[in-house]
Amino acid sequence: MKTLVVAERKGTELRRVTLELAAKARELGDATVVEIAGERYSPLPFVSALAQRVESEKPDLVLLGATLNGRDLGARLAARLGRAYAADVTDLRAAGNALEISKPMYAGKVRAKLRLGLPAVVSVRPGAISLKEGAAAPEVTKIEADGSAEKLTFVKLAATATTAKRVSLSEARVVVSGGRGLKGPENWHLVEQLADALGGAVGASRAVTDAGWRPNEEQVGQTGKTVTPDLYVALGISGAIQHLAGMTSSKVIVAVNKDPDADIFKIADYGVVADVFEFVPAFTEAVKKVRAS
Amino acid sequence: MKILIPLKQVPDSTVRVKVAPDGTSVVTEGITWSISPYDEYAIEMALERKDADPSTVVAVVTVGPERSRDALRQALAMGCDEASLVRAEGAAPLAVARALAKVVAEAKPDLVLCGKQASDDDQGFVGPALAELLGWPHVATITKVVPAEGAVELWREVEGGHEVWKAPLPALATVHKSEKEPRYPSLPGIMKAKKKDIPERPLDALGVDVAAPTWTVVSMEPPPARGGGKILRDGDAKQIAERLATALRDEAKVL
Repeated sequence: MKTLVVAERKGTELRRVTLELAAKARELGDATVVEIAGERYSPLPFVSALAQRVESEKPDLVLLGATLNGRDLGARLAARLGRAYAADVTDLRAAGNALEISKPMYAGKVRAKLRLGLPAVVSVRPGAISLKEGAAAPEVTKIEADGSAEKLTFVKLAATATTAKRVSLSEARVVVSGGRGLKGPENWHLVEQLADALGGAVGASRAVTDAGWRPNEEQVGQTGKTVTPDLYVALGISGAIQHLAGMTSSKVIVAVNKDPDADIFKIADYGVVADVFEFVPAFTEAVKKVRAS
Repeated sequence: MKILIPLKQVPDSTVRVKVAPDGTSVVTEGITWSISPYDEYAIEMALERKDADPSTVVAVVTVGPERSRDALRQALAMGCDEASLVRAEGAAPLAVARALAKVVAEAKPDLVLCGKQASDDDQGFVGPALAELLGWPHVATITKVVPAEGAVELWREVEGGHEVWKAPLPALATVHKSEKEPRYPSLPGIMKAKKKDIPERPLDALGVDVAAPTWTVVSMEPPPARGGGKILRDGDAKQIAERLATALRDEAKVL
């Protein structure tokens, strides 16, 4: 199978998901990796450049990361080319002249296996494809975004100061999320210090982002981000079904809550029935100690 | 300004979705249906524009089965002005986008707001596809819309902040969140919605090509059950914390 992978960068580094896609593409057969060079992502210039490339190379499959931009670009590209499309796929393999894909549906409450005809465009969830340690970085061909296709004007970037220095939530291998049990935004240093000790990203429950304690972009759950880290730590989160939908595929789940009947304990691998204010500082210290030894 | 919102009726987010005995679909009997959550945010965003400028007209449309009429009625009760139904069962996503493109061509809205993805298939395809078919620019996953002279400023949530884009009208945006939580229908709103006509026509009547690539379901299953986890109890906070950190390193191997 001939696959075209669309690379993404964060800063100067290729995103981990790009390496994952390149590994999967090599497994499927002939792989090419392209990066669309432009000042910032915008649908029309990116779709135009990519569609031209796809039409000249005619890959059976176009793979993108199911990231904020990858999902958007993939959808519009598939519509332009009239190709089959599947978003946020967690596994794929060749099945005759089609693809068999796995995809969470109903916000993760169902796992579907689907048969998708080729040629196709597929976006793959970051972290879903396992990457061997030390996998070689793929060779990346740059193509220019087609500025002539642009109809939008970029006005400005309005930054939220809080999260810029940490790893991105949807790609993080460790996520520490806080819920209403933290009692207020002034206590978020507890979540942040634990996240920093673990080298992870900070998330929040919907109750917390709705209350304005934390920015929306940190929300984990059905109307927020879906995360699949190796370790998910839920602090003071009761475990509403909508929150579970966003994190239940994490490899290992740790829950800290003072209510022993909280639903979060039903899916946790390790539960601690404790007051977060007492337990979290002790746990942060213990993590530092264990990581240092 | 006229704003059109294509919406989808989906199982309510509180429904514990179950795989049907056939193993390729989900149980839909007896469940509660709702407007897909991101579509609700799109409606709220449009209604906030209408609150600010009462001359704003907010219309909703859906391409779906007869039961979707309830979702349209709900949108009217929230305060939308018009609703219409294109009746279809299991249409391919690209065919849905084509039907919506036809509706947009007739209704001539200035702005189309779509939820960023429906909470059943989680695809996020129809919004960008509709913009593509219309030849319109689009901005994905916005959280705010601000009218500007003959244009709109669209705030797009990205890692670390918001990008602000100016789009000439007509334009399309997919919505990640509204500034306020979606409003509940008021009692007068519900009464008014009951009296409103919701015109309906079958997908065939639109004269769009319904042939489009789609997938076939091989199987559906619930996610692997979790559980059998350990509750760490004995000792004080420090002792439990140390046992947990050690277990995460030696047992779970994630540290």
